[in-house]
Amino acid sequence: MSRKFNWKRWCSVMAFVIPALLPLVVFWIYPILRSLYLSFTDWDYMSSEYSIIGFKNYISLFKDTRFYEALWNTFIFGIGTVIPTIAGGVVLALLLQKAFKGDGIFKFILFSPWITPTVAISIVWTWIYEPDVGIANAVLKFLHLPALQWINSSKTSMLAVIIVTIWKSLGYAMIFYITALEKVPKELYEANALDGANSWQRFRDVTFPSISPTTFFLVIITMVNSLQAYDQIQILTQGGPSGSTRTLLYMYYQLGFEEYNMGQATAVAIVLIIITVILSLLQFVASKKWVHY
Amino acid sequence: MEKIERWKQRGTLAIRLLLLAIAGIFTIFPFVWMIVSALKTKAEIMDTSVFFAKVPQWANFKSIFSDSPLLHYVWNSLFVSTLTLALQLLFGTLIAYAVVFMEFRGRKLLFAIIMGTYMLPTAATYIPSYIILADMNLLNTFTGLIISNCVSIFGIFLLRQAFMQVPMGLIEAARIDGASHWKILWRVVAPMTKSSFITFGLMNFITCYNSYMWPSLITDDPDKSLVSQGLRRFFIEGGSYGTEWPLVMAGSTIIVLPLLILFAFTQKWFINGIGGDTGMKG
Repeated sequence: MSRKFNWKRWCSVMAFVIPALLPLVVFWIYPILRSLYLSFTDWDYMSSEYSIIGFKNYISLFKDTRFYEALWNTFIFGIGTVIPTIAGGVVLALLLQKAFKGDGIFKFILFSPWITPTVAISIVWTWIYEPDVGIANAVLKFLHLPALQWINSSKTSMLAVIIVTIWKSLGYAMIFYITALEKVPKELYEANALDGANSWQRFRDVTFPSISPTTFFLVIITMVNSLQAYDQIQILTQGGPSGSTRTLLYMYYQLGFEEYNMGQATAVAIVLIIITVILSLLQFVASKKWVHY
Repeated sequence: MEKIERWKQRGTLAIRLLLLAIAGIFTIFPFVWMIVSALKTKAEIMDTSVFFAKVPQWANFKSIFSDSPLLHYVWNSLFVSTLTLALQLLFGTLIAYAVVFMEFRGRKLLFAIIMGTYMLPTAATYIPSYIILADMNLLNTFTGLIISNCVSIFGIFLLRQAFMQVPMGLIEAARIDGASHWKILWRVVAPMTKSSFITFGLMNFITCYNSYMWPSLITDDPDKSLVSQGLRRFFIEGGSYGTEWPLVMAGSTIIVLPLLILFAFTQKWFINGIGGDTGMKG
């Protein structure tokens, strides 16, 4: 650096950067480092004294069957929401691809769940799922199917939470795909049609590769969202019955804000962060192979 | 030949409409069921063979307005969301401008940090953030809620994507003319990227208005609840749970309906903003 340090310029840069950077450091970056530190302690929130206990929180976590249950639930919830949301989003966007009179109303309806508070609609779904007088079982009865206990049974509770989550996010994925489909170059379709391709071949050879960046982006976003799902679980099931809908995030909430076991809770948070990082990296590697920019 | 082609087209349109109608009914049904349930009596709501109330019980809504604190929660949410959004817009605009148009050491590192934070589960920060707010005596205050949420990483991304479309030459020309960065930002850059600001505003306003987990962790004072937390309290407390379903549904309707109406008028901005600015150029 032979150039003289330009104080004036530095100040103007700081004036633009600091207002956002300060809260970012205080409420995002520092807390993550602090969580890492706390995960090596036995702090219980109440007492001012605590000691560093090394990896004990992690070791007891990895011995806890609750943790593996939560890990499994997180996995099922992730697979059960990400795949249907993305597949459903593509299908809906394809159905809406060619404009027709009144297609706006479908876009409006399909996207509307996304803007409503998860808490309010989860309360409505609680009522829908009511085993005795809820409409969900009335519909099953109408279709001559056996009634379900929905959120009251550990066999169906996860399914119930997954349905609500898909219901809420389907329109969101659809909107991304509608825009992505508009951007596919027309010439590609024309060339494909000249080759005499049918509609499935057209989707496989032209549409699917062209929208792969959107798919990649949506997989990451919906996956991160599924790892962070809380509102609908809190309203519908509180992680129950008997832990059947307790995901890692919900376990973190219970350990931290119900049991005040801050060491264990932050250990779960760190595991959650590691999972997110690993999945993101995996997807970046995979995207090199099959995402066509 | 032409005739067959036309029938084929009509056929596919019919199938498309049918599939869309099924998806549409599945999506809209919970809203419809919420509203019709809100107008029922306690006896009617327990009978699934009744779809519409015999006599709409508008009194259910009246009692929400007069006897429940739900409107107070709406006011809280409006107040907190407006202030939070104002700060998020200001701070986000400034840092996005710096990252795109200013040259300084550590610019790339700064952006990498912001990008890294975007991916991480926010909830992982909640325990230390809670302690920080407790140390600052800001638990149970709107100030605490607002300052802990005054930066939107999503918003910074959105604006960065938009700013990068502004020709660099324009900025340089304005600099040579002696304009300050502040002036360039508001006179040149912002007018050219207006739609991203609108998308940012709507998306983040809705997110903040609806937010539940973090606000419910740092406030237990019923007077300071946002709508989601307030609605949940109304749902589980006061003997409402299980017995007062019509009132619970009326409360949910009062919270949900204005948002649907707002969305009906602003749909274009959501749809363009969400689909368009993903940073993935196809």
